[in-house]
Amino acid sequence: MVTRREFLVEVGVAAAAAGAAAALPRTLRAFDVAPPAPAKSRVVVIRDKALAAEDLSAAKAREFLQEAAKALGGAKKPGDAWAKYFSPSDRVGIKVNCLGLPTSPPVALALADALGAAEVAPDRIIIWDRLNRELAAAGYELRGSGAGVRCFGTDALAARGNGGYDADIATSGEIGSLFSRIVTDETSALASASVLKDHNLAGLTCGLKNFFGAIHNPNKYHSSGCSPFVADVCAHANIRGRLRLVVCDATRPQYHGGPPSRPRWQWPYGGILVGADPVAVDRIAAMVLDRKRKAEGLKSLEEDGRPIRYLAAAEERGLGTADLTRIEVVSIGQPWMDV
Amino acid sequence: MEATQSQSRREFLKVAGAGACALCAAGVLARAAAAQDDEPQPQVAMRDAMWFDALPDKAVRCTLCPRECVVADLERGYCGVRENHGGAYKTLVYGNLCSLNTDPIEKKPLFHYLPGTAALSVATAGCNMECRFCQNWEISQFRPEQVKSRIVAPAALAGAARERQVPTLAYTYSEPVVFYEYMHDAAAAARAQGVGSVMISNGYIREPALRKLCEQLTAVKVDLKAFTEKFYREVCAAELAPVLKTLEVLADVGIHTEVVVLIIPTLNDAVDETRDMARWLLKTMGPDVPVHFSRFHPIYRIKNLPPTPLATLERARKEAMDAGLRYVYIGNVPFHEGEHTYCPSCKKVVIQRVGYRIDSSGLKDGKCAACSTPIPGVWTQQQALAQRARRGSGG
Repeated sequence: MVTRREFLVEVGVAAAAAGAAAALPRTLRAFDVAPPAPAKSRVVVIRDKALAAEDLSAAKAREFLQEAAKALGGAKKPGDAWAKYFSPSDRVGIKVNCLGLPTSPPVALALADALGAAEVAPDRIIIWDRLNRELAAAGYELRGSGAGVRCFGTDALAARGNGGYDADIATSGEIGSLFSRIVTDETSALASASVLKDHNLAGLTCGLKNFFGAIHNPNKYHSSGCSPFVADVCAHANIRGRLRLVVCDATRPQYHGGPPSRPRWQWPYGGILVGADPVAVDRIAAMVLDRKRKAEGLKSLEEDGRPIRYLAAAEERGLGTADLTRIEVVSIGQPWMDV
Repeated sequence: MEATQSQSRREFLKVAGAGACALCAAGVLARAAAAQDDEPQPQVAMRDAMWFDALPDKAVRCTLCPRECVVADLERGYCGVRENHGGAYKTLVYGNLCSLNTDPIEKKPLFHYLPGTAALSVATAGCNMECRFCQNWEISQFRPEQVKSRIVAPAALAGAARERQVPTLAYTYSEPVVFYEYMHDAAAAARAQGVGSVMISNGYIREPALRKLCEQLTAVKVDLKAFTEKFYREVCAAELAPVLKTLEVLADVGIHTEVVVLIIPTLNDAVDETRDMARWLLKTMGPDVPVHFSRFHPIYRIKNLPPTPLATLERARKEAMDAGLRYVYIGNVPFHEGEHTYCPSCKKVVIQRVGYRIDSSGLKDGKCAACSTPIPGVWTQQQALAQRARRGSGG
């Protein structure tokens, strides 16, 4: 059963492909003289059984990421695709999520490796989260210095004071926080390498909420479905001004019982979602989660009292669109809604 | 909330150095210091939490404070210092003190409790509110692993106070409710050694936890941030009603309680609000509860408002006294006459305060020296410990 919302997205994709305007009646075509509608936010969902494999390698994940990047940017070569988002002068922070079910290390490493196509030198890339111990527990190899890609937690910068967080309180909407010095001191660009999972309070953890790991006091901002707090964190210039890309690890996502890792509710979706619009990525990710929940006989997140409230707030703050009529989903491989 | 001032996290080394030296002399921190290269470190000190319910799927509901956070496995509550470990809720701040100092008891402020004495004052990271005017946000709004701290066992802390002849332990600066287990155990240890314990708190605690704690405490100071839900919701991310409930419980328990109200221009300085608050306090706590109206200074997330005009504080004091409260003070205004304690009968000064210099010569055996009117308060250590013993035995 395809819901109305899902139908709209599918129709949106089909219409874009078919040039639907030609089929409209004459009265509606009069709008052709109006300014063109803003471009839709594109979300690429690439799926393959190989991505769901427990022994997924970074090299294999990289192949799929390159394809997704090409589809996202409409480029023929990976280098051209990645160059739309990152440049050789960037210092890129790849924010992973290591609490509970973590971002799969092969996916994060694949992203770091793929950035080479944009000529970002490995030593200008940091894979990071809050704490070294959380990264290590998630399977990441810590590396604070050297020629390759570095990987460390905010706490690794504690010697700079404030436990590795910036000295000045940063306010944005309802939040007042110190941002990780990895963001403020070490990066000029960010990629959210999130993981798709259910969240008992927010409904969903994906590309936007991932940045709760960039502030020193996320515990203060979990009421009201984390809204508008998630949006406020991402609306701060520290994030908004740096965030270029969201790569959502949906290789083995979790549709219930999150954020802790609960294998009984994880499934081999074998997907990676990629987009430059973080709100759109989260919107599509939520649909994937909800579709799986329904397939398993669970209530939707909204019916469960956990609608993704922060999406509307994020949209209001201009972080992207949650409007399905303005999102174009490009599905590569198995259809994205086939859960 | 009293400011840590020299006790802030950033200056812990300098200040705790002084405090630690004193304690080291008493043998308290010597072992800890040796184990930690004499350098406070960001750290957690885990211990089972006392107040929570287990929920399905290894989740827990914290029952310590009115938030009653539902916390998933590996997540933390709002306070940031309690963490779910596989369905077992843990405090991460059992004795890892980020602040440690000896203060005048008047700094808390407690004006009717052992005037002129000192209190060995401690804090850990964390708070269960987020007041946008917090004076100590650099410890209260941080997680334990983000601040430097030293681990001091409850008995060692109590022993240090006793050896230094400091009559009181004060749990203060941040929000002691969030380090409840340590406070409870330290207060019990102090009780056994003849040392009192005072909690300087926002009063955001559930009744069962509060009643159990009161068996060990000798006094409480509550910050009543305002008298409207709107203020609590918008400025403190909390609710007023549970704080009022706390004051009711404290009155019922009979523990010595003082109330502080920080008056912030335009936010909680309306005459009607002050009057309503005073009437409620009179009705609930009685006319003898000491109430302090303190001056706000711009800090943390409220830097766009000026310090409270003195006239506003004086007006609030007058409103409260007109409502029937007998002991109303002005705080954060050194040398103001509103810092003194006056006899409600003959109006003579019974305790004169000039900064932290205290002259209690007008008080004799708990009475006005001029007219013998009893002045309510805890004036001797024996009195402090005796009232606690009565509560502890079910009184």
